[in-house]
Amino acid sequence: MRRREFIAIFGLLLLGGVAALRRNLAIFWRSPFNAHTAQTVTAVTELMFPGDGLPGATELGIHTRIVAMSELHELMADGVDWLDGRAKSQGVSDFLSFDESAKLAAIEAAFASGDDAAKQFVLILRFYGGLNYYSDPVIKAAFPYTGPPQPEGFADFQDAPK
Amino acid sequence: MTNDADWDAVIVGAGAGGAAAAYGLCQRGMSVLLLDAGPHFDPAVDYPLTESDWDSREFPEKAGSTGSVTFAPGQQLIGAEPLLVSHSTGLGQLVTSGTRWMEKYYHVRGIGGTTLHFTGESHRIHPDAMKMKSRFGVAADWPIDYAELEPFYTRAEELIGVAGPTTQGARWRSRAFPLPPHPLSYAARTLGRGAAALGLDWQANSRAALSLPWNGRPPCNYCGGCNDGCPRGDKGSADVTFIAAALATGRCTVRSDSPVLRIESGTEDRVTAVLVGHPDGTIERIPSLHLILACGAVETPRLLLASDGLGNESGEVGLNFMDTLDVTVGALHPDPQHARRGLPDDAICWDFNAPDAIPGVIGGCRIYNASADNELKGLAGFALRAVSGWGRAHAQSVRRLWGHELYVGAIGESLPNRNSRVDLDPDNHDQFGIPLARISAWLDESDLSRLRFMATKSRELLAASGAEDIFESYSSWDWFGATHVFGTCRMGSDPAVSVVNADGRSHRRRNLWITDASVFPSSGGGEAPSLTIHALALRTAERIGKDH
Repeated sequence: MRRREFIAIFGLLLLGGVAALRRNLAIFWRSPFNAHTAQTVTAVTELMFPGDGLPGATELGIHTRIVAMSELHELMADGVDWLDGRAKSQGVSDFLSFDESAKLAAIEAAFASGDDAAKQFVLILRFYGGLNYYSDPVIKAAFPYTGPPQPEGFADFQDAPK
Repeated sequence: MTNDADWDAVIVGAGAGGAAAAYGLCQRGMSVLLLDAGPHFDPAVDYPLTESDWDSREFPEKAGSTGSVTFAPGQQLIGAEPLLVSHSTGLGQLVTSGTRWMEKYYHVRGIGGTTLHFTGESHRIHPDAMKMKSRFGVAADWPIDYAELEPFYTRAEELIGVAGPTTQGARWRSRAFPLPPHPLSYAARTLGRGAAALGLDWQANSRAALSLPWNGRPPCNYCGGCNDGCPRGDKGSADVTFIAAALATGRCTVRSDSPVLRIESGTEDRVTAVLVGHPDGTIERIPSLHLILACGAVETPRLLLASDGLGNESGEVGLNFMDTLDVTVGALHPDPQHARRGLPDDAICWDFNAPDAIPGVIGGCRIYNASADNELKGLAGFALRAVSGWGRAHAQSVRRLWGHELYVGAIGESLPNRNSRVDLDPDNHDQFGIPLARISAWLDESDLSRLRFMATKSRELLAASGAEDIFESYSSWDWFGATHVFGTCRMGSDPAVSVVNADGRSHRRRNLWITDASVFPSSGGGEAPSLTIHALALRTAERIGKDH
């Protein structure tokens, strides 16, 4: 068995799960996707992939690709609702008003929560944010052995990595 | 015998079996029409390994290259199987439905078939694995033995240019491999130190990848990209070996994009023609003196069953389906390995391959370096799967650990059972109205025992090699994603319980032959099947047209 399409499949699984979840939840509530949602998604994406010495996700424009995924808008809206709700419960107007450590704690809490939508929101942003971020040529160039394997191949395949 | 046919033989399926049969027949002076439902692939154009986004691409899909199958509901997953549950550090548990996930039958339609994206392991089946019924009381015996097949293995290896070691235990040879073995990669040698510590043999795998120039093809340059398609032509896929050689005889005609919808049969226990569908909906009738089916263990029974159960006098067509029993474990080594450098599956342990080699379980397995053939080929996959979390700590871990991953895989014997089969799906049809194949796959307790052993040994090998931080493991316990499938048109001596005879010919239809893995009575102990398919096809090609 060769699960070469592992990442793509996992993405589809996530989306499939999300789609089913959306259908069920939409009966009760549908959150709007708006500029605030997009700003919050951007902030979460940057927090997840800050670069740490390399360009961060927003500098590379990863957030715009995530926000453009319209099939995820309902999930994003619900996830942002959850984060804003947590902020309000702590006396802060919304997630964006948290300081960085509180934002990270809120993301952790969403991931650990029993709320399926909140957990899926974190998983989806991590997945698509990470996929885009670590596929970006700028980031790949900072790591060894990330270039195309042909036409050169690996003449050093018997040696310790350079 | 009808005489309106333009070719001596029509072959359906241009993969491992069809290509070798075409070559064998053309070598004997017969003319052949080789049909495939899928397209031509152009290695220089279609394979993505020179592109900057190579790591986010897979083996290309072209129009018609992906067939459709359906699946019966997956087996219920009973009990905790901590060694077998598919999970990764970064993504968590991957199958949470409580039933085996019937993900995919990995199959390429096209000129070259699934060999276009196979890894290129080139294995002879263990001689004892051909006598599972008489020796071990399970599955069925092959009606031929290893000695009967050996000359055809040799012939196939010569044409392909297989590179392999001097000896492979019980697999005796009449002639050395045509090419010397590939040197082991750095990662394989790391694992080799672990194998030595455990007292396991660890040797170069025999590979359909050239270690030296051969028949005008260049040697491998160790890019690790075999599964994405080899743009150089050093991998011994059927298109650059058997089909190229068949075409060189001037007696082979290859037609892509030509799905066979139905087989016509006539009186006197013969088939007479195939019906080929065209994209515009028209159907072409092609008469056939000899018809060879080589569509694989899923599509061959489908075609027979969809042709009013042709060749199914025994009722065995579609039964005895065997899938791919496998485990893969990934772990982080303290030192960087960058294990995608080199040939995938370059090193192998055959110690548990014999049918009685695993204590308490019938059916063997092999263990191998799965580092380079694993799909964790790019930075993104590593970051998402090998490292949990997010934020600065995640970024730092990715930078610190990138290239440290090692994978060990194990593939084991899959034994047939009455719950595993291929039949026609009454509710789903292709564009020509032909029912799709439906796969039912079931694992018995002996399969699970074998899987647990394979998982345990894989982990032991990683740990002994210094890679103790397991970040990922998956198995066919909860995830069906088969590449190697077998058994659905079993060969045998008794027409009551088999579909074809020892020559690969239908017991009843005297000009109907099968040359794919559907004829395997048993799967072997984890051997890659392509070389055995080639050998069987060459052997069948020797018999076609003689007294038929």
